[in-house]
Amino acid sequence: MNLKQSDKATRRAFAERMTEYGDLDKEFVVFEADIGKSTYSYLFADKFPERYFNLGIAELNTVGAAAGMALGGRTVVACSYGVFITMRALEAVRSFICYPNLNVKFLSSHGGVTAAIDGVTHQATEDIAFMTTLPNMKVLVPADTQAARACFDLALATPGPVFVRLMRDPYYELYGEAENFSIGGSRVIRSGGDLTIVTYGDILFQALEAAEELAGEGISAEVIDMYSLKPFDQEGLLASIRKTGALLVAENHQRRNGLGYELSNFCLKNYPLPFENIGLNDTFAESGHYPDIIEAYGISREHIGRAARELLSRKQAGDRHD
Amino acid sequence: MTENAQTAAPANLQARAREIRILTLQAMGRLGHGHVGGSMSIAELLAVLYFAQMKVDPQEPSLRERDRLILSKGHCGPALYSTLALRGFFPLEWLDTLNRGGGRLPLHCDMNKTPGVDLTTGSLGLGLSAGLGVALGNRIQGIAALTYVILGDGEINEGQIWEAAMAAVQFRAGRLVAFVDYNRMQIDGTTEEVMDLGDITGKWKSFGWHVQRVPGHDTTALNDAIDAARAETELPSVIILDTVKGKDVFFAEGLVASHHMKFDLQQAREAVERLPGGKREGEI
Amino acid sequence: MDNKDNSSRITGLKASAREVREQIIEMIYRAQSGHPGGSLSVADIMTALYFDLAKIDPANPDWPQRDRIILSKGHACPAWYACLALRGYFPMEELSTLRRYKSILQGHPTAAKTPGLDATTGSLGMGMSMAVGAALEGRLTGSAYTVYLILGDGELNEGVVWEAAAAAHKYRLDNLVAVVDYNGLQLDGFTDEVMPMEPLGAKFKAFNWKVYSIDGHDMAEIVETLEQARDYQGKPVCIIADTVKGKGISYMENECGWHGRAPDRRQYQQALKEIRSAV
Repeated sequence: MNLKQSDKATRRAFAERMTEYGDLDKEFVVFEADIGKSTYSYLFADKFPERYFNLGIAELNTVGAAAGMALGGRTVVACSYGVFITMRALEAVRSFICYPNLNVKFLSSHGGVTAAIDGVTHQATEDIAFMTTLPNMKVLVPADTQAARACFDLALATPGPVFVRLMRDPYYELYGEAENFSIGGSRVIRSGGDLTIVTYGDILFQALEAAEELAGEGISAEVIDMYSLKPFDQEGLLASIRKTGALLVAENHQRRNGLGYELSNFCLKNYPLPFENIGLNDTFAESGHYPDIIEAYGISREHIGRAARELLSRKQAGDRHD
Repeated sequence: MTENAQTAAPANLQARAREIRILTLQAMGRLGHGHVGGSMSIAELLAVLYFAQMKVDPQEPSLRERDRLILSKGHCGPALYSTLALRGFFPLEWLDTLNRGGGRLPLHCDMNKTPGVDLTTGSLGLGLSAGLGVALGNRIQGIAALTYVILGDGEINEGQIWEAAMAAVQFRAGRLVAFVDYNRMQIDGTTEEVMDLGDITGKWKSFGWHVQRVPGHDTTALNDAIDAARAETELPSVIILDTVKGKDVFFAEGLVASHHMKFDLQQAREAVERLPGGKREGEI
Repeated sequence: MDNKDNSSRITGLKASAREVREQIIEMIYRAQSGHPGGSLSVADIMTALYFDLAKIDPANPDWPQRDRIILSKGHACPAWYACLALRGYFPMEELSTLRRYKSILQGHPTAAKTPGLDATTGSLGMGMSMAVGAALEGRLTGSAYTVYLILGDGELNEGVVWEAAAAAHKYRLDNLVAVVDYNGLQLDGFTDEVMPMEPLGAKFKAFNWKVYSIDGHDMAEIVETLEQARDYQGKPVCIIADTVKGKGISYMENECGWHGRAPDRRQYQQALKEIRSAV
């Protein structure tokens, strides 16, 4: 496993690819709500000023105007933080972009508690719930630079609305340039036979560290990067859980209505098995440094390890119905 | 592209407005209910737009170069449908299917269901933002078409309207023309009771718009005002229409309750008969 | 009040403002995170409120008859926290824990965690809505308190501000005094480039507010106008305060880049030097 410390947050990688892509696709435009210097959409502004619209601190209007421009089929990338896109502008996203199925793509930064230091009003810990619930919306969460770049391309190539959750800070680099990403795809990062850990975004790195530690105890965990949350890779999931017989979902999001709820629903119907999901436990987080927050709120590698061990003992005790 | 009826005389436009009222009343009566108040207050405006001003082609509702109309007060879709039917976008018989399941005329405008409807609306406050986006998109493509947005007066309570208003001036959207249907009533009471709009002209002026205010049922005044708005190519224009909610309908006119009413075909027919001017030759 | 009283009053407030600025820089430097520019531009106004105008009692942060102070531009909370600490709402030591895990001082103001905060803010525009609600509560209970609301200029882009402005007029909330920290900068550039707000006074007037315009760093003018605003009857009041983003630190003044960046050690030392030597 080739984990290298990153110096580039996925929000930046996404915006850089967007800026390059402006030469490949001359038609799409970018909308921003006065945080271009934070979402990095300013890079696009510098290069293509006539295709960039900064509408000030007015997220609802930004999303609404993006919808208006997209009516004839033009692709618009709308940029802001997750809290504002998925909450302040949720109605516009839902009724004016998803419902008419317009080509508006969202550069949504500060997903989950990756915005640890800024505090609760800036932590989008329900963003996945809001976005996956919307019909016609596709949801992607790239974990590193190459994945972010690929997700930009995917977003533009896929008709209709696409939401891409990006992170505030750099974590690690994992993927090489030639990797293949697809809507509804996933990637097994680490093979194993005792349990499956499914995750996305920054928690992927926590899960990989946990798996390393578990291996030392003789527990072999399979770790999957489910970068496409909606639609998700049903075949890939089934193949893994048929092999391992136990599923742990870990995410930087509320447990409720996150990926864990989605997959547990799927498993209950298709392949019931010992299951656990960790995430924020019906609580808002708070300000702090990222390592402190993920530890305090139960989504760090320690918590993943603990949950994995517990899950395994349940599995071994015969906790299954087939 | 068909000619817009530039030479439409006021009497002709007044007659069109009357037809719009009749068709709308009948469609609502057949259904059993409708947002009659706000539909009646924009009848003259719709007549002037679709029969004197807008460059549209009923045979090609998706024409790129067309003028567009966004009914941001989307609950008054039925009035727009009557207008579109009269203009030839679809058969008049469709009006009998208003809000029927499987039909193509839902109560709130849906651009995916009805030919000639340019935007899905119904949630107040979104239309001006969308209109701005359309206008900017047209500009990038070098299309000189006009984008018209009809706003309710209660609707301009929505903060988003003012976000869009600021941005429209910032981006010099000179081909954006908004109308405020100032019929002075909303759901919970008069606008003065619920959220007094105060110096409505002063507000739009302070936000940088080109502002006119006209009697909203005077088709000549409306026509002249739209001409003046179109001539203003640097700044977005707003025309404030002084209107009467439920205009000309005896059981609705001037009533707050006219926002949404239940009535049947019999009552609709009576209302038609009691429209000012009496029944005319050749009227539907 | 005679000139002598006034002059020592103003001199005293200027000294307090220097302390507030010092604490702002100190806490942001310790945290290596925070928003110095907008905290500094609002420091004099916040000082005037917390050290003079506002009817408050640090020993009784929940006193029902207290004046409310809502910093709607919540990212400038270092200014808020500094004032609260210096007035004794909580120990000064807490200031060095800004934005740290378990701190009572969150990255954006959180009322449940910080003694003396009248509202949770951070998402621009919402503080204004809350201020209207607080003013209505005062009206309902027949209370005499004033609600002081501090807005950013970029914040006025937010439509919800204009929703709230209309409501304040509807209810004739003359117990509401808003101050706009008009420093002319937002995150992505000058307000004139991003979303011009002029004519600002005319907008509030059109929404039926009483409008004053002041120099937001002239303490005498701040105090006099706040008093007039507090006593004004029949309309909500908006004071448009001309300010300088980063005021008090030469390399920060009028610079967009200092919206949300912490100084390094050398910059921090220079900042302290400049603040302490200011008159």
